[in-house]
Amino acid sequence: MAAAQDSPLPLPPAVEKELAAKASNVTEVTLGKNMLGFAAKFMNGKDEDEAATRKLIEGLQGIYVREYEFDKEGEYSLEQIEQLRKYFETSEWSPIVRERERKNRETTDVMVKLVNGESHGMFVLEAEPKDLTIVLILGPVKMEDLSKLKGLGGLSALGDVEKDVKPAKKGGGE
Amino acid sequence: MEHEELDDFERELKVALERRPAPPSLKQRVMDRRGQRRRPQTTLIWMRLAATLLIVALLGGGLRWGLQQREERRQGEEARRQVITALRITGRALNQVNARLAAHSRGGE
Repeated sequence: MAAAQDSPLPLPPAVEKELAAKASNVTEVTLGKNMLGFAAKFMNGKDEDEAATRKLIEGLQGIYVREYEFDKEGEYSLEQIEQLRKYFETSEWSPIVRERERKNRETTDVMVKLVNGESHGMFVLEAEPKDLTIVLILGPVKMEDLSKLKGLGGLSALGDVEKDVKPAKKGGGE
Repeated sequence: MEHEELDDFERELKVALERRPAPPSLKQRVMDRRGQRRRPQTTLIWMRLAATLLIVALLGGGLRWGLQQREERRQGEEARRQVITALRITGRALNQVNARLAAHSRGGE
């Protein structure tokens, strides 16, 4: 999928290129503030999901999604994952989910950017042996708004994640 | 008597038919009148041309506006589709996170 690039990707570009080169399937979505505002204009206010999506994206600074699918295992290294993770290991970002399953080589990270106690960004890094998903949402992310998006592949799960995991939680694999 | 009348008539005729040079302003007056007679036709042509140009400009502008609107709508739909794709992927990733957490919770109990 072609990316609508109107702002630079706030991820290490070298890692992104390496991953894209090895993946058999790449989905890239880069939507900056302007593009989100533009897209919001084309969302039907009568449709419940679209109205909720519109409300959600109107205040956001950007949505960056990368989904890589690999033909075989071991196409990306743990070091690459670590580089991505370290990019967000700053005082601004707080981990709410941190899970490592060494046996299955699966890792999950969910971090939120907190500004004055409010969520101003979300980073999700979901790594499986043959799949890698990176989601970065910048701007005020209201969990209750996300939970209203029931038609969008179960985005309401985010609300559940927040309810289930208040402090950073480590999985059974680590 | 009759002969005298004829002489008078002949004299008058001679005077009347005598070749006289045209006054110097005549040519200018004739040309001016000719120009005045032609002006309405020229004005009409210019008006028609201006009206045609205006119609062409309006049609061109309308067509361009229509194409711009169509292109903007196409780009907007594409942006909207990308937002939905991004949110779907986000939802899928979060569902997996949720499922794993639920599995661990069950395992821990």
